[in-house]
Amino acid sequence: MSLSREAIVEGLQRIVGPEAVVTDEKVLVESSVDNFRKLQNIFDVHTLPVPAAVVLPADAAQVAGILTWANENGVNVIPKTGGTATEGGLESAVPDSVIIDGSAMNKVISVDPYNMQATAQCGVPLQALEDRVREHGLTTGHSPQSKPVAHMGGLVATRSIGQFSTLYGGIEDMVVGLEAVFPNGETCRIKNVPRRAAGPDIRHIVVGNEGALCFITEVTVKLFPYFPENNVFLGWTLKDMKTGFEVLRDVMVNGYKPSVARVYDPGDAGVHFSHFAEPDDCVLLFMAEGAATVAKATADGIQAIVDQHPECTQVPSKYIETWFNDLCWGPDKILAEDERIRQTRNVNRTTEISADWSTINDIYQTAKARILDEIPDITMMGGHSSHSYINGTNMYFNYFFNVVGVGPEAETEKYYLPIISIICEETLKRGGSIVHHHGMGKARAPWVKDEYGSSYYMLETLKKAFDPKGIMNKGTIFPI
Amino acid sequence: MRIAVSFKVTPDYEALRQVDWARVAAGGGAGGAEARAEATRYVRRVFNVFDEAALELALRLRDARAERGLETSLAAFSVAGREAEPFLATLQALGFVVARVDAEGDLDFAPAATAELVAACAQRLVGDVLLLGERAGPGDSGAVPFLVAEALGRPCLTRVTGIEPAEGERLRVTFTTDDGSARATVPAPCVLAVGNAVVSMLRVPTLRDRLAARTEQAAVLVASDFAGGGAAAHSGEPAMLTDLEIIDRSRAGVVVGGATAADKARALYEDHLRARLERL
Repeated sequence: MSLSREAIVEGLQRIVGPEAVVTDEKVLVESSVDNFRKLQNIFDVHTLPVPAAVVLPADAAQVAGILTWANENGVNVIPKTGGTATEGGLESAVPDSVIIDGSAMNKVISVDPYNMQATAQCGVPLQALEDRVREHGLTTGHSPQSKPVAHMGGLVATRSIGQFSTLYGGIEDMVVGLEAVFPNGETCRIKNVPRRAAGPDIRHIVVGNEGALCFITEVTVKLFPYFPENNVFLGWTLKDMKTGFEVLRDVMVNGYKPSVARVYDPGDAGVHFSHFAEPDDCVLLFMAEGAATVAKATADGIQAIVDQHPECTQVPSKYIETWFNDLCWGPDKILAEDERIRQTRNVNRTTEISADWSTINDIYQTAKARILDEIPDITMMGGHSSHSYINGTNMYFNYFFNVVGVGPEAETEKYYLPIISIICEETLKRGGSIVHHHGMGKARAPWVKDEYGSSYYMLETLKKAFDPKGIMNKGTIFPI
Repeated sequence: MRIAVSFKVTPDYEALRQVDWARVAAGGGAGGAEARAEATRYVRRVFNVFDEAALELALRLRDARAERGLETSLAAFSVAGREAEPFLATLQALGFVVARVDAEGDLDFAPAATAELVAACAQRLVGDVLLLGERAGPGDSGAVPFLVAEALGRPCLTRVTGIEPAEGERLRVTFTTDDGSARATVPAPCVLAVGNAVVSMLRVPTLRDRLAARTEQAAVLVASDFAGGGAAAHSGEPAMLTDLEIIDRSRAGVVVGGATAADKARALYEDHLRARLERL
């Protein structure tokens, strides 16, 4: 028999004290969703079960107390920090869930310039950590678009990636060590070492777990020297994505590591670059950064590669630098976008996948064609590749549609989920991954077995081992 | 009813950095056009916010009239170069007949010359009702709507925030006053200058709408097509821009620091509030 909402609140208050347990109805309703239900949020329409409480633990001991109690009583918990998730990972899928909000654990514990690492609690905003390390002439190298508002715990939990990943790597490359609390209250610290071969790398049990296995309380990340004065920007227009993918491949295979390497298709280029790109132009752009000799060599190498493609027309670098300076989304841009959606009912969504070089263009072309054919009210359908590797790249589908004839609560059913479904199907058919960096959340959980194939056994066993009672974020990664 | 909307495409000023604003300011005076253009050349273009509101209000008026069985034609034009073309394509997809007028020179801070071209274009497009934003861009004088109305010999209503159909071919117009807002019933022809409307963002055409409109080309006119031809730009202006200065809107303040929110709250209390509270 499950606890009543009152009993849940009382139980939490005994662990953390009443002042750390929030039961304000407005907060609870807003906490039932993340950006997956963006349109509903904007129109203040809420259809999901309302959590019983939001609890703000002060430290790992309180997190352990909460999880132990929740495990004993079968209460679903949802780990949360910055709340910028986009795939429904923070939604309360079952009644009377408890949101464990780590944002009160917001200390930067140490910045160690000699060993090039910094340690922060889960509730530290990435921008705050970045500002602290910049005082030492360093950078975390991690710059997702949500940087101004995302917190360290969530960034690690979702296996996030930043806009400069081609040079610095994804979060999985940056995490040195961490502390996490498991449903049985076990608090585990993975120490900070440059590398180890003492069995499997257990950091990867935690990185990307999306709150389905544990609660991350502290992370240590690598730091890098920061040389913004050496940034070199390069940009070209061209007429087809296949050439763009080929250029990206050449750059990666030849060992160059620009911090930014992207190719935009005409639809997506039209959103950002219509002031210099024709309506049928793709846009190829790079940023090289680092020590002066490194940045120059990278830029020169990329220039030489693209020069072998006469179909690419170079544009003044200032266009790319200006675009770069306006990349991140702070609260002001988010509010402006909300207002735009409120007035126009025109919604922007994204879905990102990854695949090898030989299949990525096929996935892009086929998925795009199907979406244009099968989904109504599309106002823009496009995408860009923004994270490349020696063995492949991602495709970030970017699309807008008008919500016509249905209320906000039906937007996901009528438009968003059908589009996600098409992209996932076409990606899986060709052996790609249905999620490059946004996390499975609840939105893509229906495809988890297809995504993993026979290795689903390994994922499922982790869940059974660490969360046998299934209290950790029901519906995320593992569909209900 | 034939509605024409004059709109301007501007740099996305929100994307300018402080150093770019300084370069814009350095382009004060009629001879500074190149400096101003260079400072804003690399940011994307957007509809001027007031003109965007005017365009959406025109569409809503058309829709409201259609519900009453009344026919409305829409036209939109811009005194602009090629940078306006993506915007004209969007407006075509939304059902506007579009045109642009190549000014063959810089018309920034030249309201008389701008108004002359806008009025001439409105007459060429035969609009019963001309909508336009009440001003465009930082430093804009807001004189163009008045000068246009004067050139056309039409009444002008400003600070417009809403437009609805009224009896016959009249319009019920909501506008802002110093005390709040008011409404007036206005006959066509007229000039309506749109201000801080709540409805401020243009609807978005679907890709199918865009494909269907692609066969039509925007009419491209040049200033010399019109009598006067905009030759009065700057030389014939009643007032000349001599200088641009950034208005410093920063407020005196102290940043309260601390490692945690608790530390900051303690510092705020100890350093700034306690003494004041004790005095109360």
